[in-house]
Amino acid sequence: MTSSPLIVAIRQRLNDAGYDDLPTPFRMAGVEFQFTAALRGRHGRALDLVLLVDTTAGSFGDSDGARVRARVQALSRALDVTASRYVLTVVLAGATLSGDVEALADTARVLHVDTLPVDNAGISDPDRLDDSIRVLLPLSIPQPAAGEHGGPAQEQLEKALKNIVDAATIKIIMTAAERGDEAVTTAIAGLIDAAFVGQQETA
Amino acid sequence: MTDLLLKELDVTDFRSIRGHVHAPLDAQVVLVHGENGAGKTSLLSAIELALTGSVQSLRRADPGYASQLVHRSAAQGSVSVATAGEGAASYGATLSPDGIVTSNSFDATLASFFSERSYLPQALLGQLLQIYQDSGSGADSPLAKFVGELLRLDRLDAVETGLKSLGDVRNVRKIVDRWSDNELEKARLDALIKDQKFDQRQIIEDIGVQMLAIRKTVDALGLTLELDDRALDAIEQALSPAQDEMSLATITDRRRELGSIRRDLRAAGAGTSASIAARQAPDAYERWSATYIERYSRLRSRIEAIFTSISLPDDMGAFGEAALRHLTLHADQATSRARKCKADAERLAAANEEIEVARSRLRAISSEMDGISTSAGGLAAILSEVTALIDSEACPVCDRDYSELNAGTLVEHVHSKVRRMSASAQRLLELGLTNTQAQALVDRLEREIATLNDAMPDERALAELDRAAADANAAHAELSDILEALKEGSRLRAGQVAAQRAVTEAQSRSVALTAARQTLSDFAVAIATAPVVDGEDLDAAAERIQSLLDGENRQLESRLSLRREGREAVGTIRSLQSRSDRLSDELSRHEAALKVVARAHQRAQNVRAQGTRIRDAVDAIRSGIIRREFNERLNRLWRDLFVRLAPGEPFIPAFRIPASETQRIQPRLVTDHRSGGAAGGTPGAMLSAGNLNTAALTLFLSLHLSVPKTLPWLILDDPVQSMDDVHIAHLAALLRTLSKEHGRQIVIAVHDRQLFEYLRLELSPAFPSDSLLTLELARSPNQDTRCLSQRFSFKEETSLLAA
Repeated sequence: MTSSPLIVAIRQRLNDAGYDDLPTPFRMAGVEFQFTAALRGRHGRALDLVLLVDTTAGSFGDSDGARVRARVQALSRALDVTASRYVLTVVLAGATLSGDVEALADTARVLHVDTLPVDNAGISDPDRLDDSIRVLLPLSIPQPAAGEHGGPAQEQLEKALKNIVDAATIKIIMTAAERGDEAVTTAIAGLIDAAFVGQQETA
Repeated sequence: MTDLLLKELDVTDFRSIRGHVHAPLDAQVVLVHGENGAGKTSLLSAIELALTGSVQSLRRADPGYASQLVHRSAAQGSVSVATAGEGAASYGATLSPDGIVTSNSFDATLASFFSERSYLPQALLGQLLQIYQDSGSGADSPLAKFVGELLRLDRLDAVETGLKSLGDVRNVRKIVDRWSDNELEKARLDALIKDQKFDQRQIIEDIGVQMLAIRKTVDALGLTLELDDRALDAIEQALSPAQDEMSLATITDRRRELGSIRRDLRAAGAGTSASIAARQAPDAYERWSATYIERYSRLRSRIEAIFTSISLPDDMGAFGEAALRHLTLHADQATSRARKCKADAERLAAANEEIEVARSRLRAISSEMDGISTSAGGLAAILSEVTALIDSEACPVCDRDYSELNAGTLVEHVHSKVRRMSASAQRLLELGLTNTQAQALVDRLEREIATLNDAMPDERALAELDRAAADANAAHAELSDILEALKEGSRLRAGQVAAQRAVTEAQSRSVALTAARQTLSDFAVAIATAPVVDGEDLDAAAERIQSLLDGENRQLESRLSLRREGREAVGTIRSLQSRSDRLSDELSRHEAALKVVARAHQRAQNVRAQGTRIRDAVDAIRSGIIRREFNERLNRLWRDLFVRLAPGEPFIPAFRIPASETQRIQPRLVTDHRSGGAAGGTPGAMLSAGNLNTAALTLFLSLHLSVPKTLPWLILDDPVQSMDDVHIAHLAALLRTLSKEHGRQIVIAVHDRQLFEYLRLELSPAFPSDSLLTLELARSPNQDTRCLSQRFSFKEETSLLAA
């Protein structure tokens, strides 16, 4: 176990998001694998295996890109051998060479958390940490406020213009609208024209 | 499982799918794989067609797409989809080159949701990409079009655009024919009414002016009259000139009478100056008469003796001239007669001589003719015929031999004889002709002599003629001498006669003058003025009376003219009043017409106002819809999804709704920095191509997720064409999240084999009720499309063990 604040923060966030710590080292296909931390999701994420790598001062050669890659590749091979459906996600915590990230991406999903994000006041910014590992976090879909939907446009229109414009006019205009703006122009022109004609009849 | 689930799909000869394909769909995730052209897109659009009865992306590309949906090798096709879960049903449509026949399909709301928010075909993805790349913010920009289509704003936009022209009356004029007519009519009537009102005021003023004129006239005439422009008959009556006209007629008569009297006076008073001239004339004549009258008398009697048959004028001057003319003529006649007598006498002597010569010639001719035989000619003719019988020297007449004579031949002899005899005959002829001529001459001369003898006057007559000529010449000379004096005398005598006549006339005039004076005096009394007193000059008196009459005449005439003017003014007022009445009629008619036009205009304005209100309301509703849809919730969701797929991208796309705009608001696309604060640029400028694709895909997912879960399906057609591997891994995680955490049934088609395998692994069932279906489409030339389905179910992972 490491006391790196970044690792602690990530682990805590993942625990909160429903990931369970795996005991390390763990065995896969009879091979023992040692990581700074490993987590596994539940239910829908039950096949998610998350490995934390402390590239700053990590043990087990975490700061050496080649050694990390070798370990992850070994694990991947072990998963293949056992026909496991686990999906690997490697979270690189701390400064990392981009070449290392790309090399790892061939075998696993790679997430990279550079530093523990802090805001201007120096307090850690959980949102920015979330952004880095968001793909592992549950998706919260904000629900629309009740009654936000106003119904079909024509109904809204009739409601808005009640006692102001007669429904027949609205209907004529909205019906014409289905045939495009020129039809609307023609329709309103016809209505205005008809108003003039009315004069001639009553005159 | 209460959510609606796609259960299965049956496709027959639809687009690039040949033959019949059955595809089970009842799994949380359906992975479709096939090479390009194998029919992935056809399979997915078959779902849309079966559910909604149309294929939106194809409709946009070609409105007549419906006739081209059947596979080219078949005459007709069909698609059908069955759903499971709550509200499960079957949907389907049959296809033919004539179009689509739907058996059962979604209602408009569900169909719209499906087409806009559940199904992401390549075309829609392309459109989403376009809204970044072409970042115009106008009403025709791809974003505006996308938003319009997504939110079904097209009808509202049509209303908004269609009613736009109501805002400007110039445009209203253009679209409504009667509007301009109405306005023109209104303007016309306004101008007309204004003019007519002005005219009416003018008329009232004119009537006032005329009434003022009548007032002056009435005052001048000394009439007392109630003046009211509505009682014109009374005024006209009062101004009628009957009395004054009668007076004027009387005065005119009197003046005429006075004129006649004055003419008489002038006639009587004229000619006094002629008497002096008349008195001088007799003296001059007396003096002339003493010198010339005796000489004239003698000469006259002499001349009268010459011209006994001619009557000469009495006047001395005229007599002198006439006598002179006659005398000249007379003398000339006498002279010419004397000259003729002399010539006749000479001719007579010559004629006598000529006749003697002619007679002697006649005698000579006669004697020569007697010597020539008259038969010579006949004999010569006989002899010439005889020569034809002479053929020897023997004479055929007397048989005598001519040769004995030795005088040539007989023929010669006869020939010369004939020639001689012929010459005599010729001579005879000539003589005869000459004889006739000479005889004629003698005859003519004889006649001439006889005539001359007859005409010859005797000697006494000749002498008498000479004397008469001499007398005439003498008288002529004397008359010439005295002619001027005679003329003077004649003039003087005429003067004397005239003088005597003048004296006589003066005497008779004096009598007329006295009578005229009396007449004038009587006339003066008759016209009630002072009579002509003795000693008053008649002319002066006449002048006095004349000026009296003239004065009265002038006064009457001026009164009459005043009355005429007054009546004219009345007439003018009448015509003005009738014009005013007419004008009033027209005015009220026009005002009524204007009211009608104005009412019509008001009605039209009301309709226009209603149209404007509709437009405002539409705009408000439209703004409401846009604000509702493109709210912060959408932005938050989009950001979340985008960051999941592109954790390394510092810029985040977002929608902004301009707060300042009120008319036809459009959301704008911007980018924010991930750490907060607007970056300013549009996504097209700020994001890489791969991240733009990500942005488009996540926008679609956000739009799906931001509204209530109407249809829990996400159908994605090859959404990862150009994404790099990192994104694919993240996309897989996202899809898993959507499927497993949010209950979306996901159907995704990919063409890349590796990607397919990767997704199959990543999307494997993670819990017992989870499920995954793979569909592999394959097609060989001239073979039916094959669809191989494989179902994967949950399997407990056992490989992971704690060390």
